[in-house]
Amino acid sequence: MALLEGRGLTKLFGRLVAVDHVDLAVEPGEIVGLIGPNGAGKTTLVNLITGLEAPTDGAVTFDGHPLRGRQPPAIARLGLARTFQIAQPFRTMTVRQNVAVPALFRGDPAPGVAAALREADAVLEIVGLGPKRDLPARALTTPDLRRLELAKALALRPRLMLLDEVMAGLTPTEVDAAMEMLRRINARGIALVVIEHVLRAVMGLSHRVVVLHHGRKIAEGAPAQVTAAPEVIRAYLGADQDAGPGSAPP
Amino acid sequence: MSAAAQIALQNAVNGLLIGGTYATVAVGFSLVWGTLNVVNIAHGALVMLGAYVTYWLFSLYHIDPLLALPLTGAALFALGYPLQRFVINQVIRASFLITFLLTFGLDLLITNLALAAWTADIRSVTTSYSGWSLAAGPLALPVVRIAGLGIAVLAAGLLHLLMTRSRLGGAIRATASDLEAARLMGIPTAHVYALTFAIAAATAGIAGGLISLSFPIYPAMGAGYTLIAFVVCVLGGLGSVPGALAGGLILGLLQTYAAWWLGPNFDNIVAFSVLILVLLVRPAGLFGRARRFRG
Amino acid sequence: MRGQGPHRPGAAGAILAAAALAAALAVPALAGTYYVRVITGIFMFGLLASGWNLIGGYTGYPDFGAAAFIGIGAYTTGILMLHAHLAFAPALAAGGLLSIAAAAAMGSVLLRLRGHYFAIASLGFMIVLQQLAANLEITGGGSGMNLPVARNFTTFYYWTLAALTLAVAAGYVLPRSRAGYAIAAIRENQDAAQVLGIAPLPYKILAYAASAFFFGIAGGIYAYWFTFVDPPTVFNVDFTIQAIVMTLFGGPGTALGPLAGAVVLKSLDVLLTNISVFLHNVFFGALVCLLVIFAPRGLAEIVRARGGLIEAIRADLRESRI
Repeated sequence: MALLEGRGLTKLFGRLVAVDHVDLAVEPGEIVGLIGPNGAGKTTLVNLITGLEAPTDGAVTFDGHPLRGRQPPAIARLGLARTFQIAQPFRTMTVRQNVAVPALFRGDPAPGVAAALREADAVLEIVGLGPKRDLPARALTTPDLRRLELAKALALRPRLMLLDEVMAGLTPTEVDAAMEMLRRINARGIALVVIEHVLRAVMGLSHRVVVLHHGRKIAEGAPAQVTAAPEVIRAYLGADQDAGPGSAPP
Repeated sequence: MSAAAQIALQNAVNGLLIGGTYATVAVGFSLVWGTLNVVNIAHGALVMLGAYVTYWLFSLYHIDPLLALPLTGAALFALGYPLQRFVINQVIRASFLITFLLTFGLDLLITNLALAAWTADIRSVTTSYSGWSLAAGPLALPVVRIAGLGIAVLAAGLLHLLMTRSRLGGAIRATASDLEAARLMGIPTAHVYALTFAIAAATAGIAGGLISLSFPIYPAMGAGYTLIAFVVCVLGGLGSVPGALAGGLILGLLQTYAAWWLGPNFDNIVAFSVLILVLLVRPAGLFGRARRFRG
Repeated sequence: MRGQGPHRPGAAGAILAAAALAAALAVPALAGTYYVRVITGIFMFGLLASGWNLIGGYTGYPDFGAAAFIGIGAYTTGILMLHAHLAFAPALAAGGLLSIAAAAAMGSVLLRLRGHYFAIASLGFMIVLQQLAANLEITGGGSGMNLPVARNFTTFYYWTLAALTLAVAAGYVLPRSRAGYAIAAIRENQDAAQVLGIAPLPYKILAYAASAFFFGIAGGIYAYWFTFVDPPTVFNVDFTIQAIVMTLFGGPGTALGPLAGAVVLKSLDVLLTNISVFLHNVFFGALVCLLVIFAPRGLAEIVRARGGLIEAIRADLRESRI
């Protein structure tokens, strides 16, 4: 059985079909890339899975538990973590305290405050924010804020992380560092769903890639196959067949 | 018509008539809240000042209160502009709590200055037509209340035209929707804010003038009208002039019927219970835009 | 609102706190009745401000109806002492507990609203209670009720001091506790808090109920102290506004800030009253306006800025003005 299994997930906003009967399955330990032009419904799909939006139709289970109707905190406690496209730190709290929050509330067993702070320190080392642990979160740069988002998600001890454009706006060197970090995280057995426009990263990391367009899944498979598929190229560029998503501006 | 039906209808009429006054009280408050994002606790104090201006114009210079309305409005306009331009504008980009507290301080200041200047003695304005009622079949329509409703509709109409058809209205709405963008487009935002507040103060003054005809005048009277403005805004939606009119009428009806069914001491209970219900069910009000209110 | 996360004052802080408490305990023996009264009044507002800080400062929910719980505490204490012939202590406790229950009930509804809307709805709650109290017989209706007279005035001093100490302690313990982390996260970003495993409502209710408890206790003490309670006196938004101003000025989201704000502002108010009973409210209104414009970050900024005070004020104004 897949770790995460979404079947027929659909979301309508009035008459706008944001997500159109999407099936998505993620095996334990897998890295799945989720790509598609802007407005394809990727973030909405993540919102459906994590409970921030209610699906109009469809079902999703995580680790055998049906998720529909559960509130976001309960879903998080099952081991499903997500990051936001625009980082959402707790601005006046320190970096360390930010990461202690999910450690405190991930559920059973819940550590005490002191233990949670120590855990936060350990997680911060993994993402490379150790030296900045006592800074207020609002003092961080954008790349560091992304790392903080990752750290908070990690502190939930998830089995699966949904990462929404963690690499947007990073320099190529930063992208390499981020890819390395994600590989380390994956090596601990955490499955990843990586939403990205930085296709180099998606190609380099993913075991499997899923392509969304206008809310529908239009392709799925190994990275090289998917990015060469004609329907995917058409989705990114309209009718122009000579350029592929790898050369399109993100 | 049966006696019960007659009473019910009279109550409906009374409710609508007083609702007109409520609408005039609330429309300026709604304008300021909807466009400047300022909850003006001192709004009722401005209404109170309008009532006093009307009173003094009447008792010193024998100017009829209804004829004096433009003067009252102008006086409050002249007070409101510098108040916004030089005082409230200083903190307008700060948090909601800061502006709320500032207007609270202003309310304290204005109310207590009025108390010091004019004492707590209750005044009233009695004209020759104060007690007149028009008869419409079995119903009695007090003339001053009809004037109140008429002026409310007129003021709401003019304000609505101003907001939707004039350049100033466009500037106000642009500034309300995005301050930075408005500034970049060359709109003199400090001035626009001050004009908006001045217009709101003028309507508060006019409401005070109307109120002076039917209700007692004393320095502390403002608080009750601020609360009324709150409820009307919640009912009708923020920043919506037709909403303020509708909200005022609804509140007037609700309170009149509550007073009839439950007794005169239940008007606030009904009003605020309705308010809480509306907030839970449809927080944007009848005409407001549904917004995600991030706390 | 700022809160840089709790810091440890250490041994020095603990000694200072103990010394302050000892001094406070000694006051009635050393000072005349006038000063004892004045200080009791200051403590009372310190209690209100510290209590408000729990929901308004730490949680970020501006409760404008907090005086609802003053009324609940006052009337519960009054009714139990007058009609059930209870002694003050159990009546006061009952007032506090009933406030907690009312807060839990109303909070589960009101705390789903945010920002302005919560502020108005909570105020509406207070107004409804005010009118209810005016309509019920057991509360004495609009004419109010008279409580039995206390024999010794200093009893109020000590009760208020005890409640204040508890409130300040709560303000110290809360942000360092697990619930405090949840509350801070909710204040900063409720959506982010949710995806990290926090179900917001129970924690908001906790803060709201704790704040209500302190307001209820204040109400009970007030009722016994002034021996007369009627709806507009206890269900009075002025108490709430003063608590808010004092909290804001002293530093929201800190344990001692609200108390500091209360001490400074209430002392100023007493001084102004001595200068002119008539004009003291005018002065206070002007003071609030000036403080809000020039010192929105309150005492904390004034203390920290010192020499660079003018520059700090200018910087704040640049951010907030148009």
